[in-house]
Amino acid sequence: MGRKYLGEFEELVLLFVAVQAGQAYGISVMEALETEAGRSVNISAVHAALRRLEKKGFVRSDWSEATSSRGGRRKRLFTITQEGEAALVEIRTIRNQLWGRLPNLGTNLSFS
Amino acid sequence: MNRPPAGPPRWADRFLEWFCHPDLLEEIQGDIYELYEMREAKWGSKRARRRFTWDVLRSFRLSTVKNFDLLISPDMLKINVRIAFRQMLKQKVFTFIKLGGFALGMAACLLISLYIKDETSYDQHYQDGDRLYRMLAHNESLPDSWQSNVFFPAPLAEALLADFPEVEAAARISPGGLFGGGSNTLRRADQQENFFEAGFILADPELLDVLEIPIVQGDQDQALVEPLTIVISERKAKQYFPGEDPLGKMLIINDELENPYRISGVMANIPDHSHLAPIDFLVTLSGVEFWEGEQSYWRANNYHTYVRLEEGASTQQLETKLLSLIDRYYLPSMIAEGVKDAEDEANNMSFGLQPIQDIYLKSGGVMDLLPHGDIRFVRLLGAIVLFILALAIINFVNLSTAKSANRAREVGMRKVVGSQRRQLVQQFLTESVLVSALALVLGVVLASLLLPAFNQLADKQLTLPWLAWWFLPVAALGGIVLGVIAGAYPALFLSTFKPIDVLRGHLSRGAKSSSLRNALVVFQFATSVILIVGTLVVYQQMEFILNKKLGFDKDQVVILQGANTLGDRVGAFKEEIQRLPLVQSVSVGDYLPIDGTQRNSNRFRVDNDEQVIGQFWLVDHEYINTLGMEIVHGRDFSREMSTDSTAMIINEAMARQLGYDDPLGRQLNNGPDWNIIGVVKDFHWMSLRDEILPVCLVLEESPYMISVKASANEMDQLIGQLEDTWSRFVPHQAFQYTFLDQEFASMYEDVFRTRAVFMS
Repeated sequence: MGRKYLGEFEELVLLFVAVQAGQAYGISVMEALETEAGRSVNISAVHAALRRLEKKGFVRSDWSEATSSRGGRRKRLFTITQEGEAALVEIRTIRNQLWGRLPNLGTNLSFS
Repeated sequence: MNRPPAGPPRWADRFLEWFCHPDLLEEIQGDIYELYEMREAKWGSKRARRRFTWDVLRSFRLSTVKNFDLLISPDMLKINVRIAFRQMLKQKVFTFIKLGGFALGMAACLLISLYIKDETSYDQHYQDGDRLYRMLAHNESLPDSWQSNVFFPAPLAEALLADFPEVEAAARISPGGLFGGGSNTLRRADQQENFFEAGFILADPELLDVLEIPIVQGDQDQALVEPLTIVISERKAKQYFPGEDPLGKMLIINDELENPYRISGVMANIPDHSHLAPIDFLVTLSGVEFWEGEQSYWRANNYHTYVRLEEGASTQQLETKLLSLIDRYYLPSMIAEGVKDAEDEANNMSFGLQPIQDIYLKSGGVMDLLPHGDIRFVRLLGAIVLFILALAIINFVNLSTAKSANRAREVGMRKVVGSQRRQLVQQFLTESVLVSALALVLGVVLASLLLPAFNQLADKQLTLPWLAWWFLPVAALGGIVLGVIAGAYPALFLSTFKPIDVLRGHLSRGAKSSSLRNALVVFQFATSVILIVGTLVVYQQMEFILNKKLGFDKDQVVILQGANTLGDRVGAFKEEIQRLPLVQSVSVGDYLPIDGTQRNSNRFRVDNDEQVIGQFWLVDHEYINTLGMEIVHGRDFSREMSTDSTAMIINEAMARQLGYDDPLGRQLNNGPDWNIIGVVKDFHWMSLRDEILPVCLVLEESPYMISVKASANEMDQLIGQLEDTWSRFVPHQAFQYTFLDQEFASMYEDVFRTRAVFMS
């Protein structure tokens, strides 16, 4: 297998998994996406992203204890792996380098 | 109170449990449940339930679906197929009926579908087809059948281009015989022998661009630009100039030596599926002026006009804008000619744009003198296809369930030894798909065997599109889908038998199932009766048309073509053949009551300055006699009366239009004054389905055709004698003849065709 890349959405999901430190699962990530990133997505999209991240080895998952909510079903809790952290760091490094080279940052930069 | 039950919708939950991979189910189901609980607390259960369903549906993805066991294992399939074959062989007659009925239905559907596809494929070949339109003129002052027509003044095309920026290109054609369209005789300038050719139209050079006619030899942009040039089709180029370069060669039309035409291009053959087909010769309109001032004259309508609009132009807006043409051009010219009530007439005019794809099928009510299909007929056929398919399926269902008693014991035994209902359904579906697949193969074979006969009936060149990429997949899919549809009910019905009832000998024939079967039978019979009655009605109508009194005698009349080559000697020729014992009478004239002969629509001014429209036909003294028409009032033309040079005979339709108590002695004016001396009984000169329109006959020369009425039915002998006489007069001119009754029959080919398609 060649290098593994992170999609833009995947990167965001991975960041939230890292931030939520062991307590991340589908709904918590979905809510964070909505409140903190302003992106309203369907739960199935989050599930799909998490599955892809796990397949790429950037996150791993463990089952939580069963509770009375959710019809007694367990949650699948996700934690970031070292590989995942490395991927995030790499992306950040590249971005930092590029951002440092942008002239006049913030004055007349426009994205269109 | 209908309160929705608490909790998430059960079916959605079950669906999720059914499709979801077990490894993922707990997570997904848990999350969706949790969301549901949150939303229920927030919004209430109704909205939460909706969102639950939505979440389930969104979670239905390739990555979440479990690995289904193949719906049916290969081994099972093999056994099912084997059992199906055994069943079929066991009851040969039954199988034959079942298969045969299905196959017949499919063959019929296939043929009719091919026919429909062919009818709907006209004028689909233009690259800019969505921007090409034919101009329509509407005028409520005209008789009903002319109120929408395609005939326009010569300067219209230019005015469209100049005044309306939406019009990107415009081109005119003149297909009528008056100016040289239609049939003519043709020969190479370097050869003597004339040939009879039917496919002439006069066309602007721009037509090649607008109608996207590719010039395969010569210059696309220059062909037809110079006066007296002609473009011929590839097939005619091969016929007239085998192995030679036709470019620059000269052609003589109708022996008019003073105006030879130079071939400036060879066009690709006009596709059969073009409303123009079959056209082989485009004669240029450039430099043409049929009388002085004709090209800028707004009061004669002899041209069809096609336009290509700018991309994104709105036809509706343009149609409204086009009304300005009336005030700018039409009305001034009417006033200049002193037309009474010009304003009123102008108010009755409007224009339309007909998409080019609609010309063939959707020209109902538009007078354009072109052959047409009929969209209603196509839709009717489409409905019939669906009916036939429904009948075939119902027949299959009824036959299968009727035989249920025989299969009941089998079902019972299978269930006893542990067969599940699903497996039984699979088995029966396998059987029906197999039957349907076999029927499809048979149906296709049957259709390809019947195709030649069908083509003859329908006057088409249909072929089974074996090689088209879609044909085999669509056929295979169709077979499977039909098999499943036809087999679904029998499969579900048979598989419900309870083993205990069956083995005891009680067949569970519930009231419900038998009422469904009764309904199907009733539907089947009703549909059959409707189809049969429909066929009978169509048949009777056709019989009516064909046996209707025509108003002229089509039998034993020979028509000689290309008589204009006789020149001055046409009179002598006429006298000579009149002396032949087998000849009853001879008439020289191009205006005959069959398609493809001369037509000339005129406006006539009446005493009180009103206007009427009618055909203006140039005939000779023997016309009425030769064609077996009947004078109902007044008298025929007479050689004794020198005043008959200004005499006119009108048909009953014209008399009705004029509305006089006694039309004799009245005048019509279309330039000169004509005195009405007689009324001829209405005769059908257009299709019998149309009403008979007004016709006026006057004594004048029209020298291309000679009609010869035989006194006895010895046509072979007569033709021989005529040919002898002919070749003495014009040895270099091909002797070309047709029979009036054959020409007449060919006018109604489409009638026969309709009948044939229905009967088959």
